[in-house]
Amino acid sequence: MDTQTTGPTSSPPAPGIRLDLSWLPPIGMIGLSVANFVYRLLTLGIYDFWARTEVRKRLWSAIRLDGEPLVYTGTGKELFLGFLIVFGVVLLPILFVSVAVVLIFSPNSPAVTVLNVLIYLAIIFLFGLGMYRAQRYRLLRTSWRGIRGSLEGRSLPYATTYFLTMLLIPVTLGWIIPWRTTKLQAMITNDARFGSEPFAFRGTSGPLYAPFALLWFGVIALSFLASLISVVAGSLAAHLMGEENLGSAARAQVLYLGLIAGFGLAYLLYLFMSAWYRARTINHFADCTYIDNARFNGRLTGAGLLWIDLTNLAILAAGTLIVIALAAVIGVLFVTIAGTIAPESTLTTEEFTAYAATIAAPLLVFIAVLSFTLLLPVTQARSMGYLINNLSLDGTLDVDKIRQSSADPMATGEGLAQAFDVDAF
Amino acid sequence: MSMHSDLFHQRFEARFSDGRTARSREVTVELNERGIAILHQPDEPLIWPYGALATAEPLTDHAIDALVTYSYQPGATLFVQGPRFARALAKLAPQLTASAERWRSASPWLWGAAATIALGCIVWLAELSPARTIAALLPDKARAAMGRQAVASMSEGRAFCDDTTGTKALGKLTQRLATATQIDRPFKVVVIDWGLVNAFATPGENVVLTRGLLEAAEGPDEIAGVLAHEMGHGIELHPETGLVRAMGLAAATELLMGGSGGALGNIGIVLLQLSYSREAEGQADDHAISILRAARVSSRGFAQFFERMSKRDGTPGGSLGKGGLGGMLSSHPETGERLAKVHAAGGYDATPALTKADWTALQGICASTSPDDRQSGPAADKPQ
Repeated sequence: MDTQTTGPTSSPPAPGIRLDLSWLPPIGMIGLSVANFVYRLLTLGIYDFWARTEVRKRLWSAIRLDGEPLVYTGTGKELFLGFLIVFGVVLLPILFVSVAVVLIFSPNSPAVTVLNVLIYLAIIFLFGLGMYRAQRYRLLRTSWRGIRGSLEGRSLPYATTYFLTMLLIPVTLGWIIPWRTTKLQAMITNDARFGSEPFAFRGTSGPLYAPFALLWFGVIALSFLASLISVVAGSLAAHLMGEENLGSAARAQVLYLGLIAGFGLAYLLYLFMSAWYRARTINHFADCTYIDNARFNGRLTGAGLLWIDLTNLAILAAGTLIVIALAAVIGVLFVTIAGTIAPESTLTTEEFTAYAATIAAPLLVFIAVLSFTLLLPVTQARSMGYLINNLSLDGTLDVDKIRQSSADPMATGEGLAQAFDVDAF
Repeated sequence: MSMHSDLFHQRFEARFSDGRTARSREVTVELNERGIAILHQPDEPLIWPYGALATAEPLTDHAIDALVTYSYQPGATLFVQGPRFARALAKLAPQLTASAERWRSASPWLWGAAATIALGCIVWLAELSPARTIAALLPDKARAAMGRQAVASMSEGRAFCDDTTGTKALGKLTQRLATATQIDRPFKVVVIDWGLVNAFATPGENVVLTRGLLEAAEGPDEIAGVLAHEMGHGIELHPETGLVRAMGLAAATELLMGGSGGALGNIGIVLLQLSYSREAEGQADDHAISILRAARVSSRGFAQFFERMSKRDGTPGGSLGKGGLGGMLSSHPETGERLAKVHAAGGYDATPALTKADWTALQGICASTSPDDRQSGPAADKPQ
């Protein structure tokens, strides 16, 4: 697409240009996954911060605006320092206080219960704080044509809103959720800038209430139906089992299988409904997001999201299985070799094998824990690709008037969010 | 760089943004000996040297384009499409490749991890115990303070046996064995009025014997054997090591600071609960045998006593509980193993550990202390 409308032509200056938003699927994500896994393993996990950074660089680069990539300028060191700071300032004090209270009072005293509730509440608050700060860090570290994004607001109002509305969810039986997510999204969007150009959120939670009502009543109906079916089918099966007849026992078995299949189907239906609601939410938020004379447009579907989610889960599971199988083979080899080369000592071969196994076991657990993230980069690329492929930027942007951001780039990363693992990418 | 001269002077179409506004313009770039030359018409060519470049994503073999930035012109970006430029750049600026970047950020941690694992292996292979090292570093004064604390807390609610002739006899035995240790440390041995059959080495070359032990022994050689064994633990700093391991650095620090508060209040309880490894027991046995040999005391009594104790309790260890002798029996080098060592030590001229009179005196060391408290026997042979 030729967008060079701002050349030295003598025609009257256009108010802006249309920017095409596209996704250029990144190549070599499996290789990157393996490299990151090996480095994580060899550095005892610390490489994680650099691994995530490289994944982000690839993902950001795959997002093209007018054919030119977004650039992620964050570093692994920033993420690492952010994590260290949060570890020292938030996690250690929480740990210290909870241990101190158990030591000072008895483990069963009400003081411990009170403290646990307080810690739980504090974590909800910090979660909101972390989400805002993570978003700010990521915007500050994202640029296009050298122009940085930013989030020019304070995290405290966001965290407060996040905290208070979270407490209201059970009180309102969930009906605050559409209003809450819209409010939080609007707060972030209205604080966001691309260079000197602000984003704006224009819209309300109104359009989300019809889909939400459908989801809400759907979940009620599904759980009612599921319990009804299980009661009826259960008693029917029990009745059939009661008869001294082989044929009816077999029929009862079939009935049980049918019951399980029915529940599976109900769960799948629930997953579909929630994916559908999620797609509607993302589309609505996109439609409400403006920048200059342009507006985002979302075309995500429930089926599309569900497909991506389920296949991603399968990919992650496959990765985990592969690693665990490999690790088990290596572990068995290690123990066997250790058993055969056991030096002449007071230990018998069996004792030595057991000793080697006790060393190998925690190593295997460590590898298994890491393995779940093995193919994460692949799934992240798929999720982000689906999102970008179904988003467009309609209208025009006057790129000449968008100047560099004056926001002060923060020195350290998004530790708070990472401590609670808020972020998807 | 001359090896890449074939890459020079190729021209590429590119988009350049100066980073002041979100506008970009078409330019032509050329790779040359110094760096990337950006040619935009009326102006002079800009040169971006290879050493100060960065790319939006690390360069790989799959790269189909490259977005380049230059550290001395922040915000400015150069976007070149097509794999040809990306591959040429990867050769001219190899520090921008994915493998180079990964190695750069991972290598400090790799060395760190390797050092950690190597240290762990050294500690494991060389059987270096950090607790043992700390224990060995403790000054004698601190170890003595530790020992006083331990003896005090162990004897809490119990009296020290201090019959004059008995104490004198014990002093003779201690002197005879201590001289044979060939180390220049003053051993201090006390007897507490406790029905339990046991003996404990405590920090700072202290040994605690119980009344129950003196009553259970059938001769001075047996007591000499037990005492030599506990001295062996003391020489190897086993009580100090065990305490450091059990109570952590807090205790050691507190001792070094001269304090004697909280952490050490229950030092005796900790010591009672300690059980030494089979290896440690073996070391103490080896010391015992060489001490007895040097002191010209027969080591037969030593072997006999342990054999009798394990038979009496049915199982090695049995009801003797943890700590001291009991601990030794529960992590037994089998009684047979000990006997074998005694036999291996061979025969030598030996005299009884104490004269008959001194042995009688030692047995009566608690006589003046607890005339009423005679509840010895198996029932009392358990701590608590």
